[in-house]
Amino acid sequence: MNTLSYILIQCGVILLTAPLVNGLIRKVKAWSQKRRGAPVWQMYADLYKLIRKGTVVSDVSSWVFKATPYLVFATALSAALLVPISIRIQPALLPGDFIMLVSILALGRFFLMTAALDTASTFGGMGSSREALISSLIEPSIMVSLITLALLSHTTSLSAMMGSMQLLRLPLIHPAFLAVFLAWMIILLAETARLPIDDPATHLELTMVHEAMLLEYSGRHLALMEYGAALKQLVLITLIVNLFFPHDQWIPMAGIAGIGLSITIYVFKVILFALLIGWIEVNTVKLKLFSIPNLAALAFILSFLGILQYLIVGGA
Amino acid sequence: MSTFSVILAEKLGHEISEYRSNDRQEVYISVNRDEIIPACAVLQRELDGPLVLMFAADERVLSGNYAVYYTFASRRDGRLVTLKTPVQPENMTIPSICLTFPSAAAYEREIQDLFGIIPQGHPDPKRLVLHGNWPEGLHPLRKDYAVHHRPEFARHEITFTEVQGDGVYEIPVGPVHAGIIEPGHFRFSVAGEPIVLLEAQLYYVHKGIEKLAEGMTLEKGLFLAERVSGDESVANALAYCQAVEKIAGVNVPLRAQYTRVLLAELERLISHLGDLGGICLDVGYGFGNSQFTMLRGWAYNLADELCGRRFLRSTVKPGGLRRDCTAGREIPLSEGLYKLRDELSATVDIIQSNSMLIDRVEHTGILAYQIAVDLNATGPAGRASGMTYDVRKSFPYEVYDRLKFKIPEHHNGDVNCRMNVKIEESFQAIELMLQTLKNMPLGEINVPIGPLDPYRQAFGLTESPKGENLHWLMTGEGNTIYRYKIRTPSFGNWAALCHAVRGNIVPDFPLINKSFNLSYAGNDL
Repeated sequence: MNTLSYILIQCGVILLTAPLVNGLIRKVKAWSQKRRGAPVWQMYADLYKLIRKGTVVSDVSSWVFKATPYLVFATALSAALLVPISIRIQPALLPGDFIMLVSILALGRFFLMTAALDTASTFGGMGSSREALISSLIEPSIMVSLITLALLSHTTSLSAMMGSMQLLRLPLIHPAFLAVFLAWMIILLAETARLPIDDPATHLELTMVHEAMLLEYSGRHLALMEYGAALKQLVLITLIVNLFFPHDQWIPMAGIAGIGLSITIYVFKVILFALLIGWIEVNTVKLKLFSIPNLAALAFILSFLGILQYLIVGGA
Repeated sequence: MSTFSVILAEKLGHEISEYRSNDRQEVYISVNRDEIIPACAVLQRELDGPLVLMFAADERVLSGNYAVYYTFASRRDGRLVTLKTPVQPENMTIPSICLTFPSAAAYEREIQDLFGIIPQGHPDPKRLVLHGNWPEGLHPLRKDYAVHHRPEFARHEITFTEVQGDGVYEIPVGPVHAGIIEPGHFRFSVAGEPIVLLEAQLYYVHKGIEKLAEGMTLEKGLFLAERVSGDESVANALAYCQAVEKIAGVNVPLRAQYTRVLLAELERLISHLGDLGGICLDVGYGFGNSQFTMLRGWAYNLADELCGRRFLRSTVKPGGLRRDCTAGREIPLSEGLYKLRDELSATVDIIQSNSMLIDRVEHTGILAYQIAVDLNATGPAGRASGMTYDVRKSFPYEVYDRLKFKIPEHHNGDVNCRMNVKIEESFQAIELMLQTLKNMPLGEINVPIGPLDPYRQAFGLTESPKGENLHWLMTGEGNTIYRYKIRTPSFGNWAALCHAVRGNIVPDFPLINKSFNLSYAGNDL
């Protein structure tokens, strides 16, 4: 497949599906509270509304504040290119690997945290400092768990990793992968600012992490920030569902029909995963801020167990 | 003469004058200004009771002087002993007692703002009620200050206590907050996340209620009392009615007393359910929040069915009730209460077995017993910290002495204890309502109250959902109010909250705050 059509399909599907994930999670939460809840399409409407609105920019802020929404969105979208939604559409030559993925996401986060400090508002600074705490605890787990997978599949490219996981048919029956998968569940919740690490629905600024950094944003800028966060969330979900629940081995046909079916199954997996995240959110309570290191330590131990298994038992 | 007066006379070495109001509960003792500190010390020792209220009155038309009152509550034998000291207009000072009675600190600042009586020796005599935009030397509760006078805007700097040290910085929060709540400014001094000091600047919704009441007829005063604070309207209205009824010397018919208990308990239930929902919401526990909010909706509907008003206003009046709201509604009401009780106990079972929730609320926001005592923290806040004090037991009003209920006892003083006190009290409120419905006799619901003599005084003391609610009323000429002092439980509890958050981390503040759930309106007046 040529690179251009890969980019078009990959970005198109991710851009279109990302807001749906938030809608589904909110729907599950609404059901648990005997509410009907907003339609699952609500975030699309919200983004459309915000994009048309004017922006208010604090006059004490610098260029960082204005550039950050675009950077956050751009880094999230570039990250999306590194995590194929289906290995059937991978281009012949795809540059970049998981180290690049982590770096790109870190770049976006760096600007997000800097922009929150830029306006010198109380809550932005608190959000930044907490984000720095959480991400510095979680990033080692991301690296170690992905290194484990890279060692097991002898490649650092994510699409090649997905290909080798596919050969295993059911990767989760291997203990190494199971440990890494569980680590990734914690990583996902932490990276996407979800309960029990952060409460995306709260109105209490003093308790916020991710939301506190967005408080000064409005209109188009806010839309880009929210959309960027949704994209990043979907990228991480894609990584999990395609690495640990590969589906292409079950599809018999090749060509366009195979690609179409593969992408449909992918979207279906994402929907199921969104419901799972919703279920986790319903059943957890936000942790004390100083208990988050414990959870991060758990994620690190799980990913380290994965690497130990590789060293002792060898490849699966 | 009461025993306190005898002991006091002995201690001070001369005769003192004592008078009692028409009620056994209240004793007033006059002392000189110079003797106030020893007199307070004697009273505290003899009564084993805290200073529950300190207020002033402009009594220049009566005696040519201002008067400052110090009220101590003997919670063992249910008596309120008040020291009264005159303050001459040419020497507007009183000796500060706040070094021995920490709870007096705020009262003295309040009196200083509203009357211009200066507490000598007060360690931190900065403004409390009036903000920096109020001009110097203008004291609204003096009688020569016209109610609707609008002073010029002034610009005084309000300073906060500065914490110094490496890495300590201040977080200003409010006065406008993200939720639909009242305004209040919180100044946190933090070292990283842990809070070193919290200073709350309140009184953004100071409406001058006490000033507004002066000159109002006693009938109209009730409307004012009902509107002091939205979720304590029965408690405030009852305290007002009690004071008027004591002055009039009437006994309210039994049916009205039972109905009043029913209303007061319904109000408590509504308030506690809201707080429990809020605690769940603040830790991101959506299920718990929606359950308690639903239950509160049910309770509001019961209130609506009972008296046509969800906020329970226009229900009571001095001498009895506005109307017989329970007549003919006993059966649907008790069915509604049974349904509520079942759902509540199912919900409580679920939330109390959620270990993540318990982990959040345990050891968070501990209010030490001694601080609770010193600052007179009452209600669920006091009872969670080991104070077994409830106005309904110590100063039984209406028919509380005929009903069966227990005071919840908890000792850790953390959010968990306050939550459990509220849960237990919610169940008890339901039981109390069922008991009143069962025992309520038929009969009259009102006694007439004629015009009252001028310059008579009485306290009204009720247990509001938030704690000890104390009102003091002095009648004026022509059946009006001469002075109306309102002290809702939030006054003491706000100070306690500022202590309870120390050493906790910033993101836990909303949770601690919610577990106290104090009233801004009821404090700012």
